[in-house]
Amino acid sequence: MRKRTLLALASLAVGLMVWPVIASAHEHDAKLPAGPIRDRHKLMEGIGAQAKKIGQALKARKPAAIPAPAEAISADAKKIPALFPQGSVNPKSRAKPEIWTNWDRFVSLANDMSTDAAALAGVAKAGGDSKAAADKLFGNCKSCHDEFRVPDKK
Amino acid sequence: MIGCPIARRGSKHFRVVAVRGVALLVLAASAGAQATSGDPARGKALVALAGGCGCHDTKDGPVGAGGRRLPTPFGAFFSTNITPDRETGIGDWTDEEIIAAIREGYVRGKGVEAPVMPYYAYAGMSDRDVRDVVAYLRALPPVRRENQPHQVDLPFARLAFRVWRFLFTSPPSPPAEAPAAGLERGRYLAQHVAICGDCHTPRDRFGVPQADRYLSGTEHGPFGKAVPNITPDPKTGIADWDADDIAHLLASGQKPDFDNVQGLMAEVIDGYGDGLGYADAPGADLEAVAAYLKSINPIEHQVKRD
Repeated sequence: MRKRTLLALASLAVGLMVWPVIASAHEHDAKLPAGPIRDRHKLMEGIGAQAKKIGQALKARKPAAIPAPAEAISADAKKIPALFPQGSVNPKSRAKPEIWTNWDRFVSLANDMSTDAAALAGVAKAGGDSKAAADKLFGNCKSCHDEFRVPDKK
Repeated sequence: MIGCPIARRGSKHFRVVAVRGVALLVLAASAGAQATSGDPARGKALVALAGGCGCHDTKDGPVGAGGRRLPTPFGAFFSTNITPDRETGIGDWTDEEIIAAIREGYVRGKGVEAPVMPYYAYAGMSDRDVRDVVAYLRALPPVRRENQPHQVDLPFARLAFRVWRFLFTSPPSPPAEAPAAGLERGRYLAQHVAICGDCHTPRDRFGVPQADRYLSGTEHGPFGKAVPNITPDPKTGIADWDADDIAHLLASGQKPDFDNVQGLMAEVIDGYGDGLGYADAPGADLEAVAAYLKSINPIEHQVKRD
């Protein structure tokens, strides 16, 4: 196909796409194959929602609002390894093959998330430095994503 | 030296002549070295806020030496060497020639560059700021690396770039000095230094950023990647982020839900290869940009991402 035709088609596609499309997280999940790939995406979104509550609690200086989401994250983190069975790669999934070649490292980061989230809940209940404990927990997200999550999907 | 009376060695007259001679030599040498009036420390802060000019860096190469492959719908472009090497970089260029490349896209010896170099956005960079950027670039370690030709599919490419500039841009009319504070500074930095729109604003079929869709995201961003809507739209943008959230993201790559950006956005924050990024820019400038982003028109545009 000539470059110019391709360009015209591309610009037509872009023109169609600028109509407001409400794509909720639910619709987004539906694009993923059912099973562990979709389930782990939902789990991660759930962890993000809990993390956001922790962020809001820190900003509002309301440590009492921290333990519940922190404990939820701690419990969710324990489910991670089982949601990444061998071979569960897919073009729509952002899971990198390194997960399975560096499995021990992957599992240890998931365990760290669980431990650090439980620790944050404890620190918040005891009136300690929740910010420091939260920073430690959320540093894990970046480590794991940088090693094991594909940077962008189109 | 011409016209200097011959003086006997060791006399006071000789010493005066010798001092004047050395002074002339120093002046001549500094003119040859293209002395600039800019401040390289201020220039460093500006380049950091410009994402380190990361297009001119490679993952493993020396800073500013160019050679990064930039694919576009119009062909693949290779960034140029902007280190002060005199033969393969810009060491031999005058300040005015470097400034013309940055703000007008006019490349010495080549003509108008393709808009893959976003000169049309840098066109609004103040005179003082662009001189500071030049001073910073001149202080980079010189690297010998020949520029390689672009792989462009267009016939009469150089003419096409000139026509594009004529049709779609206006001659630059930048201020002498940038706004010092407030929303005005944030707007100036976002539009003419960080140039957020270069990635976050959708383009038409000619590659022109669409002003009425400013910062509302696109599925067809650089390298074909999806780029988010960063207008304060409640359904499809970042209305629920406050200015602190935005400034924090620009400094660290961390979002309000503690997820981290990756890919191209992480590059402009962390720097590409050994280059500078937003994380190296002054906090006050990031806050100014954040405040400005909270003030722009919300535009409803859901960017689909898989």
